[in-house]
Amino acid sequence: MKLSKSLISAILIGIAIQTTLVSCGKDEQPKPQEKPKQTQALDGCPACGMG
Amino acid sequence: MPKVLSAVACNLDANILAACLPLMEESRIEAIEWSFDALYKVKEVPAWFQELLTAFSDENRLIGHGVFFSLFSGKWLPEQENWLKHLSQTANAFQFDHITEHFGFMTGKDFHHGAPLNIPYTATTLNIGRDRLKRIYEACKRPVGLENLAFSYSLDEVKRHGAFLEQLLEPVNGFIILDLHNLYCQLRNFDVTFEEMIALYPLDRVREIHISGGSWEDSVATPSRTIRRDTHDDAVPAEVFQLLEMTIPRCPQLKYVVMEQLGNGLETAESKQYFYNDFLRMQEIIQQHSDQTASPVTDHFLPLLSFSTDTIVEDMTLYQQQLELSAIFESAASYDEAIQALSASSLANSDWRIEQWEPHMIETAIKISQKWMK
Repeated sequence: MKLSKSLISAILIGIAIQTTLVSCGKDEQPKPQEKPKQTQALDGCPACGMG
Repeated sequence: MPKVLSAVACNLDANILAACLPLMEESRIEAIEWSFDALYKVKEVPAWFQELLTAFSDENRLIGHGVFFSLFSGKWLPEQENWLKHLSQTANAFQFDHITEHFGFMTGKDFHHGAPLNIPYTATTLNIGRDRLKRIYEACKRPVGLENLAFSYSLDEVKRHGAFLEQLLEPVNGFIILDLHNLYCQLRNFDVTFEEMIALYPLDRVREIHISGGSWEDSVATPSRTIRRDTHDDAVPAEVFQLLEMTIPRCPQLKYVVMEQLGNGLETAESKQYFYNDFLRMQEIIQQHSDQTASPVTDHFLPLLSFSTDTIVEDMTLYQQQLELSAIFESAASYDEAIQALSASSLANSDWRIEQWEPHMIETAIKISQKWMK
């Protein structure tokens, strides 16, 4: 599916700034707008499978 | 065969999104699957991620995949009530083409500290599962589906899983996500052939297929064995692509094939390249087996008859057994210790059939439970 260039650019900038985002980690995550202090190593999501 | 859409599991995860970006730039991703209940610790969802969801929602190509509902908890819990409220709000904000959840119950002290484990296939669990699926439908008013489980304790469970899924889904006229890596785990952990297993699933109820990678682990309880685990942290193995080729033509209602990988397996440039290559291979297989000029199958996994959810179905004996089992797995220092505790528990000589459980799978259940209890 075709996505607009502006959306692709926004995602690119978003993930560059918010490198600590994880979908379902176990530790507290910063607010997406906060600047990350360090990259977190987090486990993924349990029920994506039975890990 | 109608057009089948090539999709990715796409959540608010920098590594996943970075891996998806080249595919998005090339307009290859035809739909996304979003775990709408996995943002419980994110206080503010970025506008650009909402925009991404909206773009797919507007084209009716957004599908929702729940993680934390704990379908088979014997007791109806406040967290489940809240989960349904959240689903209802989210389904108003976005147009989901369908909503799915996982099979099993969550261990752990609360919904976000545990792992989904299997349940006995009985009239009690059937009634609880049917009740919960009806409630999910009531909350979202979209087709509802369930994913086959990767983990089983015994070959008997493995062989009964497909038929039990069919019974569960009947009142909501729901559908199955056939996770082929989960199936692969079953084939390898229980030495069953694909033909034998696939014949046990109601393939006319498969609307979605998942593919993913996983990992191998040695067994101490059964040293001759290595256990296939559904860790979603590696590229899709060749065997799973073979299963995809064999399965697509047998699923006449198939609409989505979704590639799943966790962000923690996508940290390097090399792993992202594997992700890209795997998607292309998946898309090529889909295109070989479906008519890309046709329209996708239309909704028809909607309830055929009205139903009531006035009375909540619960079973406190089952709930206590679930708590007991969770506590044993989460605290056992070894397989032997777990066996001793299980033999002395209320699960002994019960519908749980713990006497039939394979040692290497008990050992795996301990590892899974302890992995997710933190």
